[in-house]
Amino acid sequence: MTAKNPARLLIDTWRGRFGLTILAVALFVAVFGTAIAPYPPEASSLDVLQPPSFNHWLGTTESGADVFSQLLVGTRVSMLVGFAAAIISAVLGSAVGIASGYFGGWTDRILDALENWFLVIPTLPLMIVLARLLDPTLTVLIAVIGLTSWAGTGRIVRAQVLTLRERAFVERARALGAGDTYIIRTHILPNTLPLIFANTVLIIAVAILSEAALSFLGLGDPTRISWGTMLENAFNSGAPSAGAWWYVVPPGLAITVLVLGVSLLGFLYEEYINPRLREDG
Amino acid sequence: MRLKRVGTLAGIVLAAIAMLCAMAGPATAAGESGKDVLRIGWAQDPQTLNPFVGLDEEDYTVWAINWDLLVNFNPVDLSPAPGIAKSWEVSDDRKTVTFTLDPEKKWSDGVPVTSKDVKWTLENLGEEGELFTSYTNNVTSITTPDKETVVIKTSKPDARIIGGLLIYILPEHIWGEVPLEELTSTYQPDLPLVGTGPFVVTKFDRGRIIEMDQNPEFAGDKPKFDQIQFIKYGNQDAVERALQLDEIDVVPEVQATTFERLGTEADIATVKSPSPAFTQLAFNVCPESECPDADVNPAIQDKVVRQAIGYAVDRERINEIANRGTSFIGHGLLPSFYKAFYEQPGEDYAFDPEKANQILDDAGYTREGDGVRSKDGNELSFNLYVRSESPSNIQAAKLVAEMAKEVGIEFKVEVISVDKLTELTIRQKDGKPAPAFDSFIWGWGGDAYDPSFLLSLMTTGEIGGSSDSFYSNPEYDKLYQEQTGVFDVAQRKEIIGKMIDLLQEDLPYLVLSEDPNLQAYRTDRLGDVKVTCPEGDGDVFCEQAGYAPLLTLEPASGSSSNDGGGGSGVVIAVIALVVIGGIALFVIRSRRRRENEPVELEEEE
Amino acid sequence: MSGRWLAGKVAAAILTLVFVVIFNFFLFRVMGDPTTQLARLPRATPEEITKLQAQYGLDKPLVGQFTDNVADTAKLDLGISQRSRRPVWDEIKDALPWTLLLVGTGTLIATLLGSWMGVIAATRRGQKSDDALLGFSLFTYASPEYWIGIILILVFAVWVPIFPSGLQMTPGVDFSSFLAEAADVAKHLVLPATAMTLMLLGQYFLIMRSSMVDVLTEDFITVKRATGMRWDRVVRRHAVPNALLPLVTLSAIQFGAVVGGAITIETIFSWPGLGELTFQAINDKDYPVLQGTFLIFSFGVILANLAADILYFYLDPRVQTK
Repeated sequence: MTAKNPARLLIDTWRGRFGLTILAVALFVAVFGTAIAPYPPEASSLDVLQPPSFNHWLGTTESGADVFSQLLVGTRVSMLVGFAAAIISAVLGSAVGIASGYFGGWTDRILDALENWFLVIPTLPLMIVLARLLDPTLTVLIAVIGLTSWAGTGRIVRAQVLTLRERAFVERARALGAGDTYIIRTHILPNTLPLIFANTVLIIAVAILSEAALSFLGLGDPTRISWGTMLENAFNSGAPSAGAWWYVVPPGLAITVLVLGVSLLGFLYEEYINPRLREDG
Repeated sequence: MRLKRVGTLAGIVLAAIAMLCAMAGPATAAGESGKDVLRIGWAQDPQTLNPFVGLDEEDYTVWAINWDLLVNFNPVDLSPAPGIAKSWEVSDDRKTVTFTLDPEKKWSDGVPVTSKDVKWTLENLGEEGELFTSYTNNVTSITTPDKETVVIKTSKPDARIIGGLLIYILPEHIWGEVPLEELTSTYQPDLPLVGTGPFVVTKFDRGRIIEMDQNPEFAGDKPKFDQIQFIKYGNQDAVERALQLDEIDVVPEVQATTFERLGTEADIATVKSPSPAFTQLAFNVCPESECPDADVNPAIQDKVVRQAIGYAVDRERINEIANRGTSFIGHGLLPSFYKAFYEQPGEDYAFDPEKANQILDDAGYTREGDGVRSKDGNELSFNLYVRSESPSNIQAAKLVAEMAKEVGIEFKVEVISVDKLTELTIRQKDGKPAPAFDSFIWGWGGDAYDPSFLLSLMTTGEIGGSSDSFYSNPEYDKLYQEQTGVFDVAQRKEIIGKMIDLLQEDLPYLVLSEDPNLQAYRTDRLGDVKVTCPEGDGDVFCEQAGYAPLLTLEPASGSSSNDGGGGSGVVIAVIALVVIGGIALFVIRSRRRRENEPVELEEEE
Repeated sequence: MSGRWLAGKVAAAILTLVFVVIFNFFLFRVMGDPTTQLARLPRATPEEITKLQAQYGLDKPLVGQFTDNVADTAKLDLGISQRSRRPVWDEIKDALPWTLLLVGTGTLIATLLGSWMGVIAATRRGQKSDDALLGFSLFTYASPEYWIGIILILVFAVWVPIFPSGLQMTPGVDFSSFLAEAADVAKHLVLPATAMTLMLLGQYFLIMRSSMVDVLTEDFITVKRATGMRWDRVVRRHAVPNALLPLVTLSAIQFGAVVGGAITIETIFSWPGLGELTFQAINDKDYPVLQGTFLIFSFGVILANLAADILYFYLDPRVQTK
């Protein structure tokens, strides 16, 4: 079975096309959202909870703000938190995984126990507590999500490093007197990067969902608009009772679509590096 | 796991659910059993019925119905009215008040109410109850010469003894039997909760429902409702939805964001009334002598700057946008709710940005173009802290910053948790207060009649206690002491007026808005509601200030009982049948398909 | 041999639990000082704060606090809730059955439905029905469960009001019989359980589907087919049981997500379970309760993992023959 060129995978499969489009659109809106939004997202008016109209494509919120504008602007927070938290998680997870797998011994045992704990603790409650104890800012949110999601990556990386450690080229390098840092940098890391990357893409999806959940529960940054805070406000201000579907549906739909797109890309990449996962060929 | 079996299993489970629901039928709703029930819904319920440890507003609501104060509030104007005490007499030096109790009054368990109950409660609950300790701080002795007389002596004249002793009188023969240690920690009183109010708690299902039934020994008019239910919902939205779905009759706290819309619903009426609570923009005015290590921009301590902020901020616009037009404009420390003592202050800071600019110019604060003003190298740039828990406060803060910018004052809005804000205000260094803020937005709520608590916030004595702007003015302190001892209302009003004038001049607080009391009720459930406490401008059942309206509130004529669940049961049954039918169809089809296939060799398993 | 393996697994589980207790303590005591909340009271004097500190044992040195905490936990004395002044264990006891009901129903239906759908999709791989099921599952997998819950409320409690939009029972009503009460609860359970099911469905479906696909390509299936056995028999008797194995571990791995879902779903529907208890405790900064629910959640996950390990060991024929 020949591994397809990843670029071709992206274009040929419907999953790749879909995922790529979503990501591209999301990136664009995240960057230019505030510029293209028809109204300032926080501009309150007296047209409270109005259904979609020519002026307001997705209607208005409970403070008379434009739902569509909020939706656009909220993209930035989701993307920012999603990617940043995932990167932190990836860095932390790989560092722990490599250290743990490569050095073994007590380092391994301690780090592994740490990893175990993070895997066992239900993540949302832990995130809630950490977010609650600290101030509600985006930075805190990113840190909290990143700090609670690394264990999965750590596990996978560790397993990979364990197998790599015994491989011939590593033995040879060591025999030639190469130091640990060198070996890790030139042999271990490049071979684990694809795995880390694949896992990180999926963590992005989890991070986006986590930010939304935390914001929904009221732990998000109250000065920023995100899809999660939109759902929080919609729910708390009685949008469901008022039948304001235009306020309730779009933010959740946006989250779903973005998460879907990212996840599909993640699955695709996983299949690319692990041919056994593929169903065709 | 066989496909067919999965389908059949699912079908059976769904059918069972459907049949159960259909069988639910009309559960005995309150109306059917013949009881007239007043159903009140809320999103926060009291965690305890024990006044020694209770901390929440909702606790007061229940206490105020279950028990009397020594002196109650007249629902017409909230002035002192008979409670446990039938009448009272103030001595000439105003340091002794003699209360005469009603000899006929009994507790709900039949035991007569005596002066012993009053003395015990004032001495114990008044000492230990976290919410009640300040009321008796001037009391030197409480004596009970006989069963119907209580004599309270104070170190100096204290008008609060008549109008502000907000301590619910408890039955000594029950509470007195419990060791104080337990009372102040884990004690949960037995039910029914023995009291003297028109209703007493008979069921306390925490997180679900509180039921109060009529007190057979109640001395006043018999209430028209047989029972009051306080029903707890998960959040505000659920409460308001329940009102619309006719699950409850009254919502004592409606959100500002939904208030207007609720009013437009059929069969629902909304009530807006002033309350003794307000929202303020507070400034750090602690003098260097009191707070040598304060972390503050000294410019905020210049009266002129604060006054300019007062003129620059359009409080009406804040009300319109941040509070959806539901609040009342703030006019100084004492909310207009205190009808007996309130007067609109002379210096009211009407919106006048030009004046703000002018006084700043005159004081030497210069600016370049539209920039931030400064004087002697110090910029008029301040931090403005606001609680993350309050979206309306956050919005108000942003508006303040926006408007202040117009006159060259910069506010940096920082949203922090309430704990963090508390830390900033109570920060100490070397035993002295060292507050770390320039300004913040927060709120206070006062007592039902006596304004002393709110007025005390600005006394020097409260620095290190409740004072969070650290205002210190000896003249104000003197007037404060004076007014606490004045029993004559008109006289007291005059003194308070002078105090407010001082505050408006120095402006340690810019009171932005007076928080409203927003309520809603079903017009098809409550007949002929007259708002009281005070009359004409109050709320539906005089929440927390008494129970008088509960004696006159009556069910609307012809209100039908609540249909529990029969209808929905039928619908569920139908849905389940459809689902089962679909599964059955699938099963039958697959079997038929199999039967049509040629029989193949059976493999031995 | 299996006995030693079992003992090892149990020991590991207990060790993890101990670690959880340790971390729990540090997380709450060191990171959050409950007394700042008390300082908020306008009338609380410094003396009162000191008194409360003593009451909660906060004036002892850290080590002393820690040993007390561990000893108490072992006795199931999880402290007193700061808000309700009731023992934390009582609060948890009251809430636990409701969460179990919600989570149990949701997981059960998700497993049944998910695996059923997964089998269908796998046997019809590439066809329209497969695509449709795949699309549906991916959608529910990616969507926030509380959003689904809100939409359910919107559709089935507001627009077409057939289900209640919250609580677990109709309040203030006397029920004529246990059956009537159970039916009322069932009626209130429908929407939250649906939200929970939809949240979990996707994973079960996807795993079952891919597991089935894997199994179907395996040699022994081809052999069975070659011997002339009817295809659907092959599927039912041989493929499905083997494909089910990953689902066992999935339930355990999912438990963390289930807990998270329980919190958000219970919050929306005011369902009085551990999730709602946790959320209220967070808002009230009720640290003893938070510590308690954390412990229970972690214990649950550890237990689930252990159970899955054991179950998998006994179910997987390949593992057994080692």
